[in-house]
Amino acid sequence: MKAYSGADEETLRARNLLKDWAGEGFLTEAQYQLMERETVCDLRRTNVFLRAVLFLFTLIIVGAGLALFFTVFLSRPSEQTTGFFLLIFAAASYVAAELAVSQARLYRYGIEESLAVCSVGFLCGGIGSFQTSEYVVAAAGALASLWIWHRFGLVYAFLAAMIFVVWLPGYWTSSHAAQHLIVAGFYAAGLVAVTLTRPRQRSIAEALLWLGIYLAINLRIFSIGPDAHWWGGVKNTTEFSRPFYWSTWVLIWCLPPVVLARGLRKKDRFVMAAGGIAAVVTLFTNKPYLEWPRHTWDPMLLGALLIGIALWVRRWLASGPDGIRRGFTAQRLSGKDKQWLSAGSAALGIASPHAVALNPQSSPEVRFGGGDSAGGGATSDY
Amino acid sequence: MPILARLENWKQRGVISPEQQTLLAGLSRGEPVSVFLELNILLYAGVLAFVAGLGWTVSTWSQQLGDVLILSGLSILLAACFWYCFSRAAAWSPAETPSPSLIFDYVLYLGALTWSVELAYFENQLHLLSGKWDLYLLSSAALFFLLAYRFDNRFVLSLALSALAGWFGLTISHWPSHQDAEYRKYGILYSLIVGGAGAILSRLGQKPHLLGTWLNIAANVLFWAVLSGVFNRESYGVWFVALLAACGASLAWGIACREFSFVAYAAVYGYVGVSSIVVRHINGETAVLTYFVVTGVAMLVMLVAIARRFGREA
Repeated sequence: MKAYSGADEETLRARNLLKDWAGEGFLTEAQYQLMERETVCDLRRTNVFLRAVLFLFTLIIVGAGLALFFTVFLSRPSEQTTGFFLLIFAAASYVAAELAVSQARLYRYGIEESLAVCSVGFLCGGIGSFQTSEYVVAAAGALASLWIWHRFGLVYAFLAAMIFVVWLPGYWTSSHAAQHLIVAGFYAAGLVAVTLTRPRQRSIAEALLWLGIYLAINLRIFSIGPDAHWWGGVKNTTEFSRPFYWSTWVLIWCLPPVVLARGLRKKDRFVMAAGGIAAVVTLFTNKPYLEWPRHTWDPMLLGALLIGIALWVRRWLASGPDGIRRGFTAQRLSGKDKQWLSAGSAALGIASPHAVALNPQSSPEVRFGGGDSAGGGATSDY
Repeated sequence: MPILARLENWKQRGVISPEQQTLLAGLSRGEPVSVFLELNILLYAGVLAFVAGLGWTVSTWSQQLGDVLILSGLSILLAACFWYCFSRAAAWSPAETPSPSLIFDYVLYLGALTWSVELAYFENQLHLLSGKWDLYLLSSAALFFLLAYRFDNRFVLSLALSALAGWFGLTISHWPSHQDAEYRKYGILYSLIVGGAGAILSRLGQKPHLLGTWLNIAANVLFWAVLSGVFNRESYGVWFVALLAACGASLAWGIACREFSFVAYAAVYGYVGVSSIVVRHINGETAVLTYFVVTGVAMLVMLVAIARRFGREA
């Protein structure tokens, strides 16, 4: 059922770990070279940049190829004809993705991923052309994405399936409360299924589902930020019954600690991160929920709280034997963490000042530099 | 074979020591779990939220709080951040220097952002330089460069490059007309200065690990500037040649240094530029689509060849 064997993925995991350990100095260069030679895998991989570019160009070829086919061979086709050929293209793309894996042995190479993504897109387009109920399109998209996730292990396909699910209840009921409940119910069912079947990417899937449930029950999620009305979020609470509204408020406070505790108990970084994100979002949305006014110093308090938590956790962990407590440490153990930090700090260092340091025209009497004083010419001028 | 069995095998053959095997077996089982990255993200988000609130509060309550109170508060925070960094930092070294503590980099970043807030407030309220933001930006960029190289901090280096870009941008804003062409020239000048300065510092052995930050920013600004010239309806020839030269340089550098982000820049920016010119000279839907299919396949073949030869590992 999987495109890649367990042995192949285990070997890739071993190679990744060896690279990490060598980067962190746990292995000498000579040891790493020898061990790497003995951890051979015939799957073809590439780095993240080439993967992204290969994905993009495959998308261009397939998209242009489809358009060319319709232009050359079909002049003004009926919707049924279009749908029929889209389904054929979906099948062709999927077969090509399978061949790219089985024959060319591509693994996270961009090409096979793009073909698989195209197959889902064409499938949805094809089914939609047959004038079926629109929820059938969303359901087909969700199922096809789940299959791609299961077959190829592409995590973003799982996320796509979750997004397709969001569209489903809109075709069944006009009640917003029921729509929220149906989406949360789907995600909860997915969570049970993932917990029982324990697929290879269980960790990320579980984290995404927890986050999905949280977002489905948080009715004020679109009120984040000072310009919340831009998001088109819930402007009044009257469209929900009071018991439902306040039940969701209780839930958004209960869910983050539950998820966080589960992540800590399982030592699962993704689930922990989902719990942490949910907790921060709860702090952000609590005041809109209660319809209390926001204060300008609220972000300062949140920032101080986050910094305080980080420092307390670090100090608590460091005070344990060898800097370890309950199986956790604040020390860096992976070379990948350093790479992420280096790349992230360079990128975020440029992006953040525009949004943060000098937010323009926050008040009529004081007009800061419109974001310019921390830079901006390079991005806004072109 | 699972990693634990491999480690046992390597230990028995003497490839790794028993101590290494114990350590690595534990790590592969997630014992202990490192929350290093999570703590860094918490600190970064915390500093960002704090400075956002600081700027919002200062700008909203300036009249009620008064200049003295606000400037005193900001100055105390700034002084505390810089005192912490200068008192805790190790002696300067031109090589990569690890942070003395987890929070160190973020205290410096907080100090740099507080400096920006204070400077902006200072000028908006007191107008000491009569609105000449250029000078503030240039001085901020200089300060951030010094801090970044003194404390080996990528966050602050990015701030410095961003402030310098702002200085170029604000200079352009004084030009009354032909802004697109002027922006382009200044963009190219900025990218050449940034790329050149980064290369010189690296060649001099001054924190050479920071070169990537310089070059990534320089390359993106350069490509945007040149592409904006290629998109012109007239006299785009010289920009097209410049684009090809930039793509060639980026590709060669990326392959030589195994920095594949530069290969990606060359492929994407180059393809966009060439396609924009070709497409405007082709008539007919079929010809345009054929162009995209044929060139897409050609690019794919070339990139696969590069990936197979140079960029194998994930």
